[in-house]
Amino acid sequence: MNVNNLNRNPLIELKNISKVYLVGEEQVFALRDINLTIYPNEYVAIMGPSGSGKSTLMNIIGCLDTPTTGEYILKGINIRELDDNDLASIRNKEIGFVFQMFNLLPRANALKNVELPLIYAGINKSERIERAKKALISVGLEDRLTHKPNELSGGQRQKVAIARALVTNPSLILADEPTGNLDSKSGEDIMRLFHQIWKEGNTIILVTHEREIAMNAQRIIRLRDGRIESDELNPQKVVFESVEE
Amino acid sequence: MNISESILQAFDSIRTNKLRTFLTLLSISMGVFALIAAGTIITSFEKAVLQQLEDIGETTFWIKKTPSIQTGHTWVKYRKRQPLTYRQWKELKKMTKSTNLISAHSFTVGTKISAGNLSTDPDVYLTGADNTFFITNSIDIDYGRAITEEDLEYNRNVAILGNDVVVKIFPNTNPIGKEIIVKNQRYTVVGVMKSRGAVLGQSKDNMVIIPITSFLKYFASPWEESLTISIRALDRQLLEETMDEVIGNLRVIRNLKPWEANTFEIETNETISQQFGSFVNFLSIFGFISGGFALIAAGVGIMNIMLVAVKERTREIGIRKAVGAKRRWILWQFILEAITLCQVGGVFGILFGIVGGYLLGTWIKLPMYFPTSWIILSVVVCTILGMSFGAYPAYRAANLDPIESLRYE
Ligand SMILES: Nc1ncnc2c1ncn2[C@@H]1O[C@H](COP(=O)(O)OP(=O)(O)OP(=O)(O)O)[C@@H](O)[C@H]1O
Ligand SMILES: [Mg+2]
Repeated sequence: MNVNNLNRNPLIELKNISKVYLVGEEQVFALRDINLTIYPNEYVAIMGPSGSGKSTLMNIIGCLDTPTTGEYILKGINIRELDDNDLASIRNKEIGFVFQMFNLLPRANALKNVELPLIYAGINKSERIERAKKALISVGLEDRLTHKPNELSGGQRQKVAIARALVTNPSLILADEPTGNLDSKSGEDIMRLFHQIWKEGNTIILVTHEREIAMNAQRIIRLRDGRIESDELNPQKVVFESVEE
Repeated sequence: MNISESILQAFDSIRTNKLRTFLTLLSISMGVFALIAAGTIITSFEKAVLQQLEDIGETTFWIKKTPSIQTGHTWVKYRKRQPLTYRQWKELKKMTKSTNLISAHSFTVGTKISAGNLSTDPDVYLTGADNTFFITNSIDIDYGRAITEEDLEYNRNVAILGNDVVVKIFPNTNPIGKEIIVKNQRYTVVGVMKSRGAVLGQSKDNMVIIPITSFLKYFASPWEESLTISIRALDRQLLEETMDEVIGNLRVIRNLKPWEANTFEIETNETISQQFGSFVNFLSIFGFISGGFALIAAGVGIMNIMLVAVKERTREIGIRKAVGAKRRWILWQFILEAITLCQVGGVFGILFGIVGGYLLGTWIKLPMYFPTSWIILSVVVCTILGMSFGAYPAYRAANLDPIESLRYE
């Protein structure tokens, strides 16, 4: 796909992935026969109409869910062979989630929220605080450390969520409609942040149904009825990047 | 698991569900209170009885119309028994060969004693006793003398005072030879007892002893008053033999046919301990059953609070799982929360228990006893309670599906 990636190991490989839900007697195919390879430091946007399977795909990639059939290999590890506990530690170490609904702990302040994954990683308190502060500074929230989610704007909440996703240095940042609950101004803010994170060497997969948002990514995948309809590089971004360099 | 976080979270649950939490904590504290109160009372009684038994020694036994400690409605059984009279005692004394230490006494509670213009509260134990009573019941004379055979024979109005009475009506003078007035009767003080401390909060020094003859004449109706007869065997080895002889003689005196049961009670240190044991059992069963019920009710309340907390915090559980919380972390978080809730209730229960025990103690003058082992027990009980009733909600939380939880509104 990308010339640069030929000599590198893929970060994730999906081989013939299907996800079937049983609704009563009826089988609902959320995903059908998905094949997808993503390399480190790619910036991928997944688009598609509602119900096309975007979130289902993200949940499988994020190890929150397992496919009905097919193989998913993350950093060379076959996810099928892992149990619940292993999946939890994969999520903890390798994945950083950013959700549309922010999903912050409402009663914990920004710092505590960002610390959370580090608690489950078993990292001691002083290091936890230090790393959480660093992550919050990197998203530009150094003066909001002790604010609770309800004391922050939508954009700021999403930045806390991004800091939480970054704090464990994961291999993969997954964002499902991260700007869906934001006004366009804060949305742009967040997209600028994702761009910066990508530039720092992170891999990002982003779900959106807005073309404009998708245009920030380097590669755009379109889903329809649980299948990949198209998978192409974003000419705009590639051109734009090469001009910048 | 992050314990301090779970504890803070538990306090948060307390704040968000005030009424329900309050009721649950109330029933935990009632349960713990019942445990601690029952425990404290049992321990205090135990100490008091052991002390008393030790004071008197093991060669003395007592004969009474009815047992000293009765539980339930057993009094019906003893109601028809004839009193142990002065004459029966005299006869028993005459007949019995194995010991000459056979005393008789009786008492009334709530007598007022005065001397000059000073008087006691109407709470003195007025005891009528014979001369051997002092030996059989180990009552020592501090100064002056005890009751003598002549006092009984000549119906003398003499009195031996306990320390509490001396302090009240002869604060600065030697009472020996002075006159006291007991319900219009004049008595001459001839001796003062050695202090014997208190048992079950009752001072044993708030007592006046007068000759049994005089007591029966002025303070009881001689034919109805039932005496307590105290017998001291001359030796530990002779105790059984003495007891057999005394029982046999008394059966003869009371005209019992061979097939009839005794119409009196024989009490030894052992039987008193046994009676006490059944009394303590009664108390503790009562305390533990009521405490247990309160705790079970509290446990159900805890379970309810925790189930609601799990439901309310479904999304939080989803978030925690998404960022890498394993099942057992979630499980522990909620169990710790339930334990914390129980401990908060337990702390109040312990405080109520201690304050209640203290108030009760000062009211009935029980020696104050700090129920350390019972406090430890209730902390353990609260932990077990939180674990067992928190387990199911915690299990539910740990097994929630992360995706569905994250979608939960
Ligand atoms: N738990 C479930 N049980 C049954 N069907 C499900 C379940 N989850 C998803 N589906 C179905 O799978 C399909 C894909 O759903 P998914 O949430 O992945 O769509 P999406 O592309 O994210 O849509 P949207 O843009 O609205 O978020 C839908 O048809 C949906 O109804
Ligand atoms: Mg979706």
